[in-house]
Amino acid sequence: MTSSAITARAVFTVEASEQAGRGVVRIGLVPPPAAVVPRPGQFYSVRCGASTAPLLRRPFSVHRVREVPGGWRLDLLVRIVGPGTRWLGSRAAGDRLDVIGPLGNGFDPDPETTAVLVGRGIGIAPLYALGEALRGSLPRERLLILMGARLKERIFLREELSDLGVLHLYTDDGSEGFRGRAPDLLRRLAEDGVPGDRFAVYACGPDRMLRELAGLQARLGFDGQAALEDHMGCGFGACLSCAVPLVPRSVRRGGPWPKPALQYDETGSAAHSLICRDGPVYDLREVDWDAWCA
Amino acid sequence: MPGAPDCSVRIGGLRLENPVMPASGTFGYGEEFAPFLDLNRLGAVVVKTLTRRPRLGSPPHRSTEVPSGMLASIGLQNVGVEAFVRDKLPFFEGLSTKLIVSIGGETVGEYRQVAEILDREGRVDAMEVNVSCPNVERGGMHFGTDPFMVESLVGQIRDRTRKPLMVKLAPMTSDIRAVAEAAQRAGADALSLINGPPGMAVDVRSRRSRLGTSRSGGLAGPAVRPLALHLVYQAVRAVDIPVVGIGGISSAEDALEFLIVGATAVQVGTWSFVNPRITLDVAEGLEAFLREQGHETIRAVIGSLR
Repeated sequence: MTSSAITARAVFTVEASEQAGRGVVRIGLVPPPAAVVPRPGQFYSVRCGASTAPLLRRPFSVHRVREVPGGWRLDLLVRIVGPGTRWLGSRAAGDRLDVIGPLGNGFDPDPETTAVLVGRGIGIAPLYALGEALRGSLPRERLLILMGARLKERIFLREELSDLGVLHLYTDDGSEGFRGRAPDLLRRLAEDGVPGDRFAVYACGPDRMLRELAGLQARLGFDGQAALEDHMGCGFGACLSCAVPLVPRSVRRGGPWPKPALQYDETGSAAHSLICRDGPVYDLREVDWDAWCA
Repeated sequence: MPGAPDCSVRIGGLRLENPVMPASGTFGYGEEFAPFLDLNRLGAVVVKTLTRRPRLGSPPHRSTEVPSGMLASIGLQNVGVEAFVRDKLPFFEGLSTKLIVSIGGETVGEYRQVAEILDREGRVDAMEVNVSCPNVERGGMHFGTDPFMVESLVGQIRDRTRKPLMVKLAPMTSDIRAVAEAAQRAGADALSLINGPPGMAVDVRSRRSRLGTSRSGGLAGPAVRPLALHLVYQAVRAVDIPVVGIGGISSAEDALEFLIVGATAVQVGTWSFVNPRITLDVAEGLEAFLREQGHETIRAVIGSLR
């Protein structure tokens, strides 16, 4: 048995659980001693119950890795949307969680290029970890964060995000910050001029937002990566639930993105990738957005 | 101190060290589970259904959770039999576990071709015929719904291989006993059942199917166990060949239910997603049950329904 057999599935202990926003809970976890430290964009598949309902594990991205004396802590950000997340959100200090991970590829950021983190709602969760990783190599004015929601009451993490970089808020109804959606705000910022000679976008949020960012990318020419989300049955490539169609000519493979589950059709004109094993992070150019959002 | 109880069973010509294996389609190509358990300690490994050519399967948003179950439309995504032999089979060369390969197709001819290719592979110990595939020559009607289609299909695969053949039956038939008998007549060495019954779930806000454009899918998980147990019991009484029970097994106790009504072995499916080590947990639990009950062999349990 390899060492991954020891670290793949483990018991994490809840250290603290607190409200982070409306319907959003931040859970701090103590990993077991041998656990692998995750990269931003990777995720964990967490058992969210003790019986047959809720049945399946739920995926949660790495929100934060905190160094503490003699080890580290893992923070997850959980939006309460159903029985599974309700169960997880009501865990208390000392409770033990059945956790598989870290899973997936994670972001592959360019530490020298101005970074624009584009989130919406709970999509901000993995971008925070990425921002913390980039903070060491980028001056504050070259780390931009776009965070928004439908309305002001749905925005959270304001203080943490403004500590991290230059925060731009947006709401659909204009109740706080820029009135409009993230791609509109990004276009405005690009027109006004983003610091640095070029910038890269790292995004997580609703599929529609990601698709619009991909459309904007085609016009403005920036590099971009997006963390995708889908219902997962397992999180480790067995159930094939989380297939995403990719554009074969744009597939990026190699380095930190080996894509072990990538599969082409016979003619090579179509490809399916599994978000859990190959993703959850993809280059914006890779995803067949029409098929993904159909 | 007495030795370990004998958990071995025979499926056709195949001797399994214990009666526990994963269900096809829930265990990938086996390698996905290597980080979680010692595959050699399973009765067998059953890999996902292979077709003649690679299939990309259903469009995205393929699964959703339902009460004590999972609804999924994967659409038989697989790498195709040739890529399996080339890229996936070598993984098993280093293992001693029995390997059962599930085969599928849209025509009788496709099943035959897949069986022929796998028949040449010494590492493949047996094949499981997934009859829950749409028959494009019969307007997409599933092979498994009809005893005559099953008999014809299995008979023609039987001609192509001498490896043990297990036929995996679908639950939606007019009479499971007739389908089971048909498979036996056609030369099946064993039956396995059930494949997932069809199901549907709707999001009332968006008024869309929760399986997206696929709309319906196969139901799996603890929700199907009573149905599966009933059908296994019926099949066991209809045929003389071994029957492998499948349906919502999440513990040794669940597996024992199937063995007691007469199943010779079991397959564990959806619960491998929840606990990737569950197959081995069930095997260990069965052995513990035999010790606790003072049985020397698993055969004391099989078909012991009072």
